Amino acid sequence: MSAIDDLAAELAKLPGIGKKTAMRLTYHLLKQPSDRSLRLAQALEVLAERVHPCPRCHNLTEQDLCAICSDPRRDASVICAVEEASDIWAIERSGEYRGVYHVLGGRLSPLDGVSASDLTVNHLVERVAAGEVREVIMATNPSVEGEATALLVQQALGAAPVRVSRIARGLPMGGDLEYADGVTIAQALVARRDMVQDSR
Amino acid sequence: MEAPARTTDVRPVAARLQRLVIRDFRNLADVTLVVPPGGLALVGDNGHGKTNLLEAVYYLHLFRSLRGARDVELVRFGATTFHIGAEAAGARRDRLSVGFEKETGRRRILLDGVPCPRVSDALGALPSVAFSPADVALVAGGPGGRRHWLDVTLASTSARYLGSLRDYRAALSQRNAALRARSRSSPPAVWEPAMAEHGAALRLARAEFIDWARPRVTESGMSLGERGLVEARYRCGDPLLPGATLDDAREAIAATLAAGRDRDLERGSTLQGPHRDDIEIRLDGVSLRRYGSAGQQRTAAIALRLLECAWYRERGGTEPVLLLDDPVAELDRGRAARVLAAITAREGGQVLLAVPRADDIPAALTALPRFRVRDGTISPWSDADA
Ligand SMILES: [Zn+2]
Repeated sequence: MSAIDDLAAELAKLPGIGKKTAMRLTYHLLKQPSDRSLRLAQALEVLAERVHPCPRCHNLTEQDLCAICSDPRRDASVICAVEEASDIWAIERSGEYRGVYHVLGGRLSPLDGVSASDLTVNHLVERVAAGEVREVIMATNPSVEGEATALLVQQALGAAPVRVSRIARGLPMGGDLEYADGVTIAQALVARRDMVQDSR
Repeated sequence: MEAPARTTDVRPVAARLQRLVIRDFRNLADVTLVVPPGGLALVGDNGHGKTNLLEAVYYLHLFRSLRGARDVELVRFGATTFHIGAEAAGARRDRLSVGFEKETGRRRILLDGVPCPRVSDALGALPSVAFSPADVALVAGGPGGRRHWLDVTLASTSARYLGSLRDYRAALSQRNAALRARSRSSPPAVWEPAMAEHGAALRLARAEFIDWARPRVTESGMSLGERGLVEARYRCGDPLLPGATLDDAREAIAATLAAGRDRDLERGSTLQGPHRDDIEIRLDGVSLRRYGSAGQQRTAAIALRLLECAWYRERGGTEPVLLLDDPVAELDRGRAARVLAAITAREGGQVLLAVPRADDIPAALTALPRFRVRDGTISPWSDADA
């Protein structure tokens, strides 16, 4: 395998990039001045070496705690639970949310072998048990798997004296949070509803 | 429930295939066909490609094989991709095109030249209904075939139904996987609200369809010459009372799933729910599936296909293209004549007929322009073929 094929093969593994685009990007990088390609390589290296999950909320950060957890102006009594760290960026864009987050690290999917123990549900339960948390807002995606994940977390929090709410379905079913615009997300947050404990 | 408005004064538009281009689909390497407004008759021995051509046209309705084959199996032996293109009138789109590449498994649908990434938006792009002797399985076979028929018919005219079906199936497969995982950290119960919600939407739509269908099935039975009373009944796991709401249906499903959870865990599968519902076709109160003669079952299957046509006409607003694959094979003469009269009674619909020999073209369809199908090629009929 040549260096060109190597890079193209790596690029093609990225989401939304096919073989043709990977080749085009590779040749584009070859055409530009080499210091620009080296800067890209360094940025990737730093990303891979320094970025890690925040020990409190599993957001991605280079610091000990992420920027949101370490911000004293954020309301730590409200936790918004999301599937992926990239969802935080989407909710922050709405500019409406002042609480903190909890990244679950995916969504429940027994078909793909993902169960509660593969997610950070237990850590969320510990956070709620340990601190001054008033409310957990479930902001998993409005898909079948996202809804089941919300239910799972709600049941896991069952014993804790905490309000558990679900963002409104302003988002199209199956539409990812990541692609929703800021206004839509702000509306979905405002119109959130309490999840009622099922007695069955 | 309010009766749907009669639309006899508004004539539905008939979908017409005008030009068909097929490349490397089944045994059809390269076919370009200008289709006359009234349709055509394909004459050729079995195995030469006439059913494949009907399957290609049907692909533009469901974007799946008529015979349940996977896309990779539809690519002609030795070829890498198949392509079906059509120009149509009276359908939602004038130009349709679909291509499938075997190696990548990628499919590309173009409607009026615009890529259509979601097949749900393309469904029913060129509506058609296929009649074949194998349809007898709809009546004589297990519930799966009837449910599939019902789901396809309803999803073809309702994006909402299709969405509910997709989400219900997703939740069902996840619950089944959770049942088999037998793990405390993968509880099956969290999938039940989604199954109840989407399953309730399916059941209400199905019940409404059967209400609509009931008088039509009886009418079809009579015009097809059945002496008794033909009836269609919805066999729903949690029977819906008249006037049942979405909430009623949802609660019923949720309760059934919760009650069956332990047994389901034991069996590793969800044994009750909308995915097990059925339609029962009865003649004078007796199940045709169990006790009907072969002729009665064939006739009832044709009544279901006619129902499908009526649904697309009344709910979809479009008269579908009829794909008739040797429609009266193995029927006695009296039944055959009545069936053809019922099928061809609709005015102005386009018919694509496939028969083994010119003698098999029914009298009512002898005016259709004829084409010879041989070894995957289609050519206009010449007197030498006669
Ligand atoms: Zn953090």
